[in-house]
Amino acid sequence: MDIDFGPELLAFREEVAAFLDTAPTEAIREAGRKTTSAFPSFEEAQAWLAILNKKGWAAPAWPKEYGGTGWSVEQRYVFEEEYRKRDLPPLLPNSLKMVGPLLIDLGTEEQKAKYLPSILSGEDYWTQGYSEPNSGSDLASLSCRAEADGDDYIINGSKIWTTLAHKSNRMFMLVRTNSEGKKQQGITFLLLERTDYPGMEIRPIDGLDGFPECCEVFFDNVRVPQSGRVGEENDGWSVAKHLLTHERGVSASSPALKRHVERIREVAAEEQTPFGGKLADDAVFQRQLGELEADIASLEHFEKLAISGHEISLDPALPSITKIMNSELVQRVSEIMRQLSGLEGQSLELEALRVGTNVYALGSDMDLIAMPFYLNSRATTIYAGTNEIQRDLIARTLPAG
Amino acid sequence: MDFSFTEEQQMLRDSVTRFLQQKYDFDARQAIVNSDQPWSPEIWKAFGELGLLALPFPEAKGGFGGTITDIVAVAEGFGEHLIVEPYVSSILLAGQSLAASGNAAASADLTAIMSGGKTAAFAHEEGKGTPVPVLVAFNARKTEDGFILDGEKRMVLGAAQADLLIVSARIEGSPGDKNGLALFMVEPDLPGITITPFQTIDGRAAAHIRFDDVDLPLENLLEKDAFYLIQSVIASAIIALCAEAVGVMETLLKITGEYAATRKQFGTTIGTFQAIAHRMADMKIAYTKAQSTMIYTAALAEAGKAQPRDISILKGQIGNLGKSIGESAIQIHGGVGMTDELSVGHYHKRLLAIDALFGDSEYHLRRLGAE
Repeated sequence: MDIDFGPELLAFREEVAAFLDTAPTEAIREAGRKTTSAFPSFEEAQAWLAILNKKGWAAPAWPKEYGGTGWSVEQRYVFEEEYRKRDLPPLLPNSLKMVGPLLIDLGTEEQKAKYLPSILSGEDYWTQGYSEPNSGSDLASLSCRAEADGDDYIINGSKIWTTLAHKSNRMFMLVRTNSEGKKQQGITFLLLERTDYPGMEIRPIDGLDGFPECCEVFFDNVRVPQSGRVGEENDGWSVAKHLLTHERGVSASSPALKRHVERIREVAAEEQTPFGGKLADDAVFQRQLGELEADIASLEHFEKLAISGHEISLDPALPSITKIMNSELVQRVSEIMRQLSGLEGQSLELEALRVGTNVYALGSDMDLIAMPFYLNSRATTIYAGTNEIQRDLIARTLPAG
Repeated sequence: MDFSFTEEQQMLRDSVTRFLQQKYDFDARQAIVNSDQPWSPEIWKAFGELGLLALPFPEAKGGFGGTITDIVAVAEGFGEHLIVEPYVSSILLAGQSLAASGNAAASADLTAIMSGGKTAAFAHEEGKGTPVPVLVAFNARKTEDGFILDGEKRMVLGAAQADLLIVSARIEGSPGDKNGLALFMVEPDLPGITITPFQTIDGRAAAHIRFDDVDLPLENLLEKDAFYLIQSVIASAIIALCAEAVGVMETLLKITGEYAATRKQFGTTIGTFQAIAHRMADMKIAYTKAQSTMIYTAALAEAGKAQPRDISILKGQIGNLGKSIGESAIQIHGGVGMTDELSVGHYHKRLLAIDALFGDSEYHLRRLGAE
């Protein structure tokens, strides 16, 4: 076994810190401080991606030949730790963690050349057209139809929970191209070059936190080229399953959680409890926080084992385990933050949460984000396959005697 | 970063696993536990032949110079087979204390322990548990030509059979002080020592030891200013115990998965019920966390970078996660899981016993939040 603690790593940390201290604009920093979701303010997140891309640091997890950094696991964590320490906005996931890696694995050379550079530069953003009003956890039952017509498909139906569709200029989606046989066998995976094709209508949906993060997308005889297909017609389910391994896959997510805990500790050190003394000295709080920190540490250990290629990375249950661990920890962190904010979390402050409004928060930074973060994070155990579905999947990988 | 075992470690692991598969199935283990012997002398001898008794000690002291990850490589198998031999107490706790000392008599004792000729016990825990060494209250009074030991040590594994006791004691200060702690070598038949032996819930030989004004000559002082030595010896033992616990958890997951896939109720296997499937999934998640943290902490320790906080994370997680896995295994087995005949309960008791030593999960988890 071997973990690098060498001096080069310290030098690397300094290099990263110097860049992150100077490169982001004030608007980007503000977006970071006001992040209450896995999806920060769109414009600032994409602007930040463009800056990182110029530095060559947009996609550390990608293979080097496609624009990755070639960093060691230690370096990736150093980067992520310094990034989170400064409360910078996370990069939007759909392009970088889903369709990008998918195209690297399964796309044609033409598709890679066409789409990957503009994902990294932030010019393009891809929304995910998977769920439908009657196809949630049972995704394979989807019915949005695509019929071949010459070199095109004609799409009819609708998609829902398409995150940031109203901001996206491209879309990857699953459509039904065959209604016979097993439901998984008639699905096709399509890349849509535009989200403003004639017949496409996008309707944002306000979430519990008051912001439109998800959308519904309606297709009325929308004509798209067949060249946007990934994989064979009717074989989209295996493409989708492959993409899911990236969506639920292992990334360096523990530093974000650790940063939340750091902020919780700062508040608890000052917070007086009704029972007397500071919250940080309260036994119940200490026990709760201790277990949370230990679980975050275990996630970190698991991620590091997996990313470094330990045999644990071959476990077929790995994507589901990662998804459950991370989503449930986000919820636990947000729940403590909500508790800490108390009555200060009750004020609805949508304008103060928007970037660049110059509307000041009524309370502290933590008070401003705690409630919307808590409300938004209820989605983490629902999206990307509910945690109930994930537990079903894990159980199926266990020894069956 | 690399968290895989080396080729040599894998070979060692395979040889120990093969041996235990042949000689230490559950029935053989129960025969040892139910015999009038505290453990099996044949198995102990074989451990010596496999090189295990000398594994962690420096080559300069006649050992094989093994690292903590070498120990981890074999300890998972100890858990899988629920071995009751005094490896942790005699080799990792008492043996490592002797190995770290410059005391001449200690070297001779260590040689005898490595050869299997002697065993030693580590008399450290007090009251209902001593989660950190600074809490040691057991008193060693300085006299003109030595010390007088007075007090009680509890739950000393292998004490009644030991040829030598390594005893932690306080020469100065009061509980909470790092200063004033020492380790002593004590022959168990000295006047004033009363040993009350018992068997633990997980089939081990242990004892409480009462010291009534026991006179010790000066040369029996193994180490003064022993806080850091005690802390580091216990940290290694905790990593080994946790590796054992991970072996136990893996076995419980396997046994329970197989049971749920074959046991039928309402005309179908119970593993098809979502309530059972999800509980099994949670067992797998708990196991994955425990395994990851155990391996990572061992790698940190091997690099000399494991801090007390890292050890608390490990001990807290293993205790907490292990208890939930054990309880789920019993619940999924239903009535038969409650029987002494089935292995499941014995695995659970081993997890409880590991949790209880050197601070349970409640202690370590709260400590993490308090720091």
